[in-house]
Amino acid sequence: MVYTRKNQRDLTGAERRKFVAAVLELKRTGAYDEFVRTHIDHYTADGEGRLRTAHMAPSFLPWHRRFLLEFEKALRRIDGTVSVPYWDWTRDNSPASSIWGEDFMGGNGRRADLQVMTGPFAHSSGRWNVTYAMSETRFLTRDFGRPRDPVALPTQAQLDEVMRERVYDVAPWNSTSASGFRNRLEGWASGQGNERFRIHNRVHRWVGGLMLGGGSVNDPVFWLHHSFVDLVWSRWQQRNPGAAYLPAEPPPLGDAQYRKVVSRHQPMEPWGVTPAELFDHSRIYRYA
Amino acid sequence: MIVPRRVALRSLFALAVTAFTGGALGRIATRTTPGAPSGAPHDPLAFDEMYGGRRIRGFSGPGGTPVALVDGRPLHLMRCADGGYVSPIDHYASCPTPLAATRAAVDELGTAPLSRFAAAHGVHTDPTGGSPRGVHA
Repeated sequence: MVYTRKNQRDLTGAERRKFVAAVLELKRTGAYDEFVRTHIDHYTADGEGRLRTAHMAPSFLPWHRRFLLEFEKALRRIDGTVSVPYWDWTRDNSPASSIWGEDFMGGNGRRADLQVMTGPFAHSSGRWNVTYAMSETRFLTRDFGRPRDPVALPTQAQLDEVMRERVYDVAPWNSTSASGFRNRLEGWASGQGNERFRIHNRVHRWVGGLMLGGGSVNDPVFWLHHSFVDLVWSRWQQRNPGAAYLPAEPPPLGDAQYRKVVSRHQPMEPWGVTPAELFDHSRIYRYA
Repeated sequence: MIVPRRVALRSLFALAVTAFTGGALGRIATRTTPGAPSGAPHDPLAFDEMYGGRRIRGFSGPGGTPVALVDGRPLHLMRCADGGYVSPIDHYASCPTPLAATRAAVDELGTAPLSRFAAAHGVHTDPTGGSPRGVHA
């Protein structure tokens, strides 16, 4: 049966509670931290001369689609009525938005050490101890808008610009791809200052704290962010029915991207599924 | 100037760590320099400074890749296709130099020291606490 992912702003109080309870239960069992580790393990930058799957690569979108599906499957084993809501950051773009409520994601970090002090994921609640992170912090951290060098969330106009791309991805299939939907959505760009990180990347920076680094999955808003990124891809797919995943074939021997990126029918670690197999989600979930 | 107790303690800890590791590296350097020709070229990846209350150091590692240390703990720098570097603390900005990437990491690190996971990523984190092993060969 096809289930629905909703805008988090439309969730009822009961739906918010159920989502939070399922996430906390996953954390209690230790399963949540395995998702954190999986994300850390698959971060490879594009100048490293190695295969990269999750970021700076065409498979950024299908990799995270599958990652979300695995997380959602784990949540739904706990509560079959739960799905991963999405955070439309073009609308709910302020620290005062309801997403940061005490019954849901909790609020910003405090100034002294960026520690999140409110909501179910505050360390003081006793249920959210950070296990795998790039620093020895044990508490969730956030730094909304990076006050010392302010950055704003992406706007609808900026997202519309991304939606006008007509090709899924272009060579060299990395963070320097000058056009193509994937890199425009992932958000790598040249330029100065805040221009260098856009759309998806910009949201990680706006939230700040743990969301900025290898341990970004430690912040549950990671899932709501990527649910919206996946929605944007889904809408783009609907508008561009002929635009398949690229590259269709593996870059050949001699190409700088030989064995560095996943092509349409190559399996992606750690699940062994191909981008082609993740192209159509309509039999699993839909977006409301 | 009033220095909060937490900051004061952290600075003392940082000083202790850097004093210890600095000494250890000093000994290694002493042992290796006799083989090097006098007037050896300056390491282009070398830096050593206090930044944001942390001692950050960099140098060329084996194979010529940059090594960065924050208060003596390794910070894995990854090369980007645009020629810059990202660190595991800040994945979303490619910085032009190892020094810039290390400073950017300190900017976002908050008050905590680096963990052992910051020493390597893009490899499997071993839950048993052993060395990370590569999976992308």
